[in-house]
Amino acid sequence: MTGAKDRMRQKKMKNQPRNVTYSSTGRNVERGQGSLASGWVRGHQTGGQGYSRDLPKYITASHFANARAAEVNGMLKAVSKPAGSCHVFNALPKHMRRRAMSHNTKRLPSRLREGAHKLMERSQQTEKDKKQLPKRRSRKARRRHGNLLLEFNRRQKKNKWLETHIWHAKRFHMLKRWSYCLPHKPTAKTYRSSYRAMNTHALLQDLSYFCCLELQGSEEQILSALCRLTSKDTGPTFGAGLFLSGSRQGSVHLYRADEYPHGSLGPADFLWRPRAPHTSHRQLWIWIHPVLKAEVVSELQLVCQCFEVLSTSEEICSVEGTLVGQKRKRDNEVDCSNTPSKKLLGDCTRAAGTPVCWGSADTAITISDLTMEIVRYRLIGPLAHMVLTDTLQPANEDKETVKPSDFWWPNHSKDQTNMKLHQQQTDTFQLLRGVCSTGEVPAGCVLGLTVDDPRLSLPQRRIKTIPGLQPCADECRVRDLTLRGVAAHCSESALWDASVRHSVTHNQMSQQELNRMRSEALVPGSRLVAPPQGCVPVLLVHQPGRVRGEERRHWGSGWDLLLPKGWGMAFWIPLVYRGVRVGGLHMSVKHSQFKGQPHFPHGYPDCPAGTLFQSEQEAELIEKFKRRPPSKRTNYIKHGCLAPFCCPWQQLTEEWEELVKLNEGTSSICRTGPPEFTLLRSLRVLRQLSVWCCPSRSRPVTHPPLTPEVAAALQEEWGRSLLWVRLRLMSKGQPALHAMVCIPTVSDLQLLLKDRRISGPLEPLHKDHVKNMINSKHKASHASKGSSSAPHMNPSKALPVGLIRGVWPQPLPSVLSHCSRLTLGWVVEGDFSLAAGCGEALAYISVSGLLRLLLQQPQEQRGVVLLRNPSSLQYRYAQIIVDI
Amino acid sequence: MAEPRSPVSAAVSHIPISMPTPEGSTLEMDPMEYTLRKRLPRKLPKRRNDVYVNMKTDFKAQLARCQKLLDAHREICIHGLGLAINRAINIALQLQTSSQGALELSANTSTVELIDDLDPEDPDEAGEPLTRTRNNSAIHIKVFYPSS
Repeated sequence: MTGAKDRMRQKKMKNQPRNVTYSSTGRNVERGQGSLASGWVRGHQTGGQGYSRDLPKYITASHFANARAAEVNGMLKAVSKPAGSCHVFNALPKHMRRRAMSHNTKRLPSRLREGAHKLMERSQQTEKDKKQLPKRRSRKARRRHGNLLLEFNRRQKKNKWLETHIWHAKRFHMLKRWSYCLPHKPTAKTYRSSYRAMNTHALLQDLSYFCCLELQGSEEQILSALCRLTSKDTGPTFGAGLFLSGSRQGSVHLYRADEYPHGSLGPADFLWRPRAPHTSHRQLWIWIHPVLKAEVVSELQLVCQCFEVLSTSEEICSVEGTLVGQKRKRDNEVDCSNTPSKKLLGDCTRAAGTPVCWGSADTAITISDLTMEIVRYRLIGPLAHMVLTDTLQPANEDKETVKPSDFWWPNHSKDQTNMKLHQQQTDTFQLLRGVCSTGEVPAGCVLGLTVDDPRLSLPQRRIKTIPGLQPCADECRVRDLTLRGVAAHCSESALWDASVRHSVTHNQMSQQELNRMRSEALVPGSRLVAPPQGCVPVLLVHQPGRVRGEERRHWGSGWDLLLPKGWGMAFWIPLVYRGVRVGGLHMSVKHSQFKGQPHFPHGYPDCPAGTLFQSEQEAELIEKFKRRPPSKRTNYIKHGCLAPFCCPWQQLTEEWEELVKLNEGTSSICRTGPPEFTLLRSLRVLRQLSVWCCPSRSRPVTHPPLTPEVAAALQEEWGRSLLWVRLRLMSKGQPALHAMVCIPTVSDLQLLLKDRRISGPLEPLHKDHVKNMINSKHKASHASKGSSSAPHMNPSKALPVGLIRGVWPQPLPSVLSHCSRLTLGWVVEGDFSLAAGCGEALAYISVSGLLRLLLQQPQEQRGVVLLRNPSSLQYRYAQIIVDI
Repeated sequence: MAEPRSPVSAAVSHIPISMPTPEGSTLEMDPMEYTLRKRLPRKLPKRRNDVYVNMKTDFKAQLARCQKLLDAHREICIHGLGLAINRAINIALQLQTSSQGALELSANTSTVELIDDLDPEDPDEAGEPLTRTRNNSAIHIKVFYPSS
């Protein structure tokens, strides 16, 4: 791995001077000295300009001498200090090295013996010093519970752990992303079995790393503030009546305030708390990806005018402080009276003292940051509801206890209205058993519930939930549930209440206590008696599967389970014991790919998070590419692939716009808008394009047919934007990342008409001019060495720094017309789709390009494009599908 | 392959919709204001010997599947909905002829209730989710070896 190499190098260079710099003290010296005046930098200048060619007219002697002196000093320093831990014999050429030189100094040449002797003594000394250091504690001591927790707390300072971290770390490859430690892929081979789980049973994921922001205030004010962040063009917003009642979860795409269609931020899910009677005070949860958090919070503060900090996370930092203090004292004090439950509290993603709650006097809206306060598990698959109904047992009402209790549930259940609601929620929950597939429930339903501790009814061994063959008795009510969804008032849950959450988290029964109860149970394996503190408020949120498009509807639908923090593992193990598969980040990417949706932040090139992800991905891919020897790499220049690592979206949109303008000829309208490209998310336009992209059948013509005038109007509005499309390969082929989407020529289409299973045309091999340039450079340098007469053969052809063999150097030529077919866009996610049974890709293409393509193609072959992988010359036919 | 896919393609289209209102009269709506989304038909509990016929899978493959099931089971049940009724009948008859009369058929018909969602064009308009139900015919053919 490169990490180890880097570390080695850093160790070696530790004592070396960084670079030989000399900063000129005379600031007002005339600039004639060129680069000399600005100081010295070791090595070649990056940026390709090399040394300035025009010599300075005169040199100030003192500055010049100072600069040289600095250089000489640096060199002397570098020479005098040994590099890292290098032994003396490392200085010897290889043919003079002998076996066991480090043990026997006499094997060294005599001039080096003295130094080697010193080194040897020093190393022996350090061994003695090491012995004086406090001994590492024994494994037993280290593994003691309290010490282990301290160690865990230390290890998650930089990257926060989820509650299921240890469970995952034993089974998954973990990734450090977005200041969390997240599971990526299981260590076992589970790709296909996970897909099967999604398709026929249930797949479980821990999504607790998603951030929850809570808004409180009056409904009108929140709505008027939030409507600046969204647009009605892209679908339902925060104010849609369906979501406002609190019975459904909605999702929106957020933009910066009043900047639509520019300034895209990212997707968010939101959930309103059902209206309480006699008050207009509302509560709203917005769930966002952790990358987005900083930006969204600042935007929310802006639109809500909430800048006053109401509370900070200082309580948490005090807890941490005590932990750290105790650790320092460890050497002297043996006892550790730290309570283990402290482990779960606090959020290391925030520095101590970070504000978590903002308010304002004008608008009376408060924003609070509930990151890591609520655990979120996602179950994907048609049997997700069966797993839930098996795992969760609705709490019983507590009739015996008369006196007020410390725990929330006995007090809560005293109230007659609460009890009635609980009864209705329980009934609805039992009805779910009669539903055959998760997809039948209306999208985004929310059901609040209070359940018993699921550990009480843990099966003795892992079982697999299977649906019963007998249809449910209450056929009529099940039908009502699938038709209307959960009633609005049943979506209420005590989970919305911060005090209840706090009480539930802190009064959890420990695993030890539970095990004791289990051992005392008269019948082994029977259900244990529910203690009063074991009642947990939860929210079940239905996740719609595939809602867009015509194929595989409701595929990948599921339920989200929201829990108060601290209860993560108590629910995780019982869920896993019901035979679900567990997936990581990799599976969520695949899930959204099979669902035909872009995954955040992979497929959002217009968002800041998406751009960041792309640049990271580019660095990673280049690193991987460079690891191979040049002769074993793909030569992307020869394959005619300009951008194998990172797609230049901006250049693509600009070039398409220019081309369209050229075709129009005279009417060159100057666009005044900001130059950044946007993504087309307007439902109205998407609907039109979706119909136009289908190869025409006998469709009722309700849409305006595609004419040059209509296209020109669209082009005017959306010319500089990208469009998200799905591509389905018509015959063979497996699209890869950053595959090119190209426009087929007329002859290509005719070939396809003749034979539908034809594989596709070939791209002629390109010439690698960069390789010739490198070769000529090499030859030139060799020649100059031999003759030592011409030190600079052709300085004009100096290679730009950072050039990689096989990849186009940075100022790219026209990406549009580089190959024999015009490029429309690139694939961002492509693979063989297990759900569709053929290669499928998700790509972004230019809207101008698509309009031109559609205008040129005949009716029956609308939307046929060519797809070519970066490392291949073979084009494949694919069909564009725009899902709405 | 085994899942009963919807034989009717769930198309998204603009159609004029007549909704029965609570008063009993029909309310004509502007065709451009709503989009119709068809939900999948209800999934039913499935035994090993149930075959749900669809229009997407190749006919031969479905026939071969039934043939294979008949090797293991005394009887199988072929279900078809809507457009797939024809195909279900066709499969059953093909099975019978290829068995040279050893198999017997008994067909039942039924009505399946399907649900359509109506998405309003202006997304923030509708308070209640609009759904409507319609009926479609289905056939269930039992193909079995008669007990001698």
